Amino acid sequence: MKTISGIGGMRLVAMRELRERGRSKSFIISCVVTLLLVAAALVLPQLLGGEAAIHSIGVVGEDNEPIIQAAQDLATAEEGDDSERYETTSFASLEEAEQALVAGEVDLVLVDGTTVLQERTGFSGNGLVDTIQRAAGSVRLQRLVEENGQAAADVIAILSSSPLEVMSLDGEDPEGDIRPVIAYAGLLLMYIAILSYGSWTLTGVTEEKNNRVVEVLLATLRPWQLLGGKVLGIGLLGIGQFVLTIGFAFILVNMTEAVDIPRLPIDGLLFLILWFILGFSVYSVSYAAAGSLASRPEDAQSAAFPMTMLAVAGFFVSINALDDPTSMLARVTSFVPFTAPFVVPIRQSLDGIGAVEHVATVIVAIFSIVLLVRLSARIYAGGLLRFGRRVKLKEAWRSAEP
Amino acid sequence: MLAIEGLHKAYGDIKALDGCSFSVQPGRMLGFLGPNGAGKTTTMRAVFGLLTPDAGSVSWQGKAIGPDGRLRFGYMPETRGLYPKMKAADQLTYLGTLHGLSSSEARESAGKWLERLGLKDRSADQVEKLSHGNQQRVQLAAALVHDPELLVLDEPFSGLDPLGVETMAEVLRERAARGAAVLFSSHQLDLVEDLCEDVAIIHRGKIVKSGSVIEIKDSSPVRHLEIELTNPDARLLEKIDGVIRAERDGARHKLLIRSDVDVRGVLGDALASGSIRRFVYTSPSLSEIFLDTVA
Repeated sequence: MKTISGIGGMRLVAMRELRERGRSKSFIISCVVTLLLVAAALVLPQLLGGEAAIHSIGVVGEDNEPIIQAAQDLATAEEGDDSERYETTSFASLEEAEQALVAGEVDLVLVDGTTVLQERTGFSGNGLVDTIQRAAGSVRLQRLVEENGQAAADVIAILSSSPLEVMSLDGEDPEGDIRPVIAYAGLLLMYIAILSYGSWTLTGVTEEKNNRVVEVLLATLRPWQLLGGKVLGIGLLGIGQFVLTIGFAFILVNMTEAVDIPRLPIDGLLFLILWFILGFSVYSVSYAAAGSLASRPEDAQSAAFPMTMLAVAGFFVSINALDDPTSMLARVTSFVPFTAPFVVPIRQSLDGIGAVEHVATVIVAIFSIVLLVRLSARIYAGGLLRFGRRVKLKEAWRSAEP
Repeated sequence: MLAIEGLHKAYGDIKALDGCSFSVQPGRMLGFLGPNGAGKTTTMRAVFGLLTPDAGSVSWQGKAIGPDGRLRFGYMPETRGLYPKMKAADQLTYLGTLHGLSSSEARESAGKWLERLGLKDRSADQVEKLSHGNQQRVQLAAALVHDPELLVLDEPFSGLDPLGVETMAEVLRERAARGAAVLFSSHQLDLVEDLCEDVAIIHRGKIVKSGSVIEIKDSSPVRHLEIELTNPDARLLEKIDGVIRAERDGARHKLLIRSDVDVRGVLGDALASGSIRRFVYTSPSLSEIFLDTVA
């Protein structure tokens, strides 16, 4: 006699999701688009910013050269490389210089080391004018200092760099710490991934109901096997795409050195993946229950609306946690299964959560998922075979077999 | 044997099943008849555990049906359903594995059934690209791919063209001949009479008649008698007792008589009159019995 274990049935469902969705056009397109977006985000700034910025300064009269030279020194000191270059064009008369300025041949005109001429007064400040102002200031200071016999280079060095050395308790250089950036990028990825893969579960469940294949399936499968297999299959596909995207970004970064990564926080990455799995489980299982209440895709979105709102709330709370990872709001929402996946990784990456608290949030999340699976499986079982209008939650709950 | 005993199921105030009992024997085909809303689909769903009855039981070979038992059943629901974007062969293979076949067995069986149903060259097509009739064939193959011991089909003939009806009937006959118990619902009563050994008639959630088609017809209290006489003045007919209804169409007389009428005596008299051209004595059709039962 042929038998099939509970897990075996779930595995078959998961394999079908992997196979059919994995080779579907929409999945392949979404992978390609994601990779293209990552490539664009990493490579475009490199291409656009790869060449040195050239500032073309028109000069009229005497005493301009020292200021231009000082501006060049300032830019080199601030940027740490020669990515900004100052070039000068001499004009015999102010009229000629004005014409060149109007024609866009020069960015601004410096007259006798005393006057800056720009084409029009911008609404926002002109960075180039500011630099020239500072350069002129330092030139005057240098002359003043020279007259008093001080070493000019020392003064310029003091003025052009940060006079105080900054240190932090963990011995890291805070300027080199890009953890908030990575945390934010991770949060954004997580939010997009959870919502998009969650909505696959939602529409997948509604589709099965809409095309009535669910009755054939439930003649052999128990609802929890169908629910579990679907969430597992789509989840694996989601993690696959997630890892592919991150791996691709990593390779691209190393190949092109597009982004300066001084320290990749591997623990942060692992926690991000852990919370992605937890978050995906929470949302996907709940979305499946919502999907089982709807018979048509249009109804599915409205059935899932409360969950989507929770995700949006979680996202905003975690943005808040970026500023203050130990606030009361962040602490409380770390224990709410629908917001924790967004908030906890942010707090972890900013050292805003202790190990004990972190373990506690993971345990609460896992416990909630077990509970949610049971709740959702019952709603799912009750909702699946009620076709037509949208099933009321209470109705699905009651009609399901306990 | 599939034994359905005393099923009750209520949805609020509506009693979908109200003590439904009948059985289906291996190697036989049972036609499950009843007006719309009588409880046919509810009964079939109960067999597959798609709903739990309020009372009563469903058993197979004397044992309560569990998830493992259902792996050996094949089901074709009334509302057909397949994955529209999945290829026909892949779909059948998947459903085969859900019934416990290995993937190679399932693939082989899927191919066999697609060929048998004339869809061999469409096996790599997505189901949504097939015609309605061909989708029905794939749906039938989905119920058969794992060679089930019990086949339950909800309205398998609805929406089929005569060719499709013939294919479906042939396949069901063959399955029953190979020892499967076959249960299907239908409104095409002549087809059921032609195809099934047994019937069960359900009305308002209760089985009002069940048994072999022959027995049910024989147990009817009425018979049809059709006599055609060359001599229209024959007084023969007046002598027959127990006539419930009589119609005349020229020389042809159509009588509805009680089943206890001694028809041999009538035949003897008719022969003696020397004017008989036609003498047909039959039980009522399943269709008539059905209408009488549920009226």
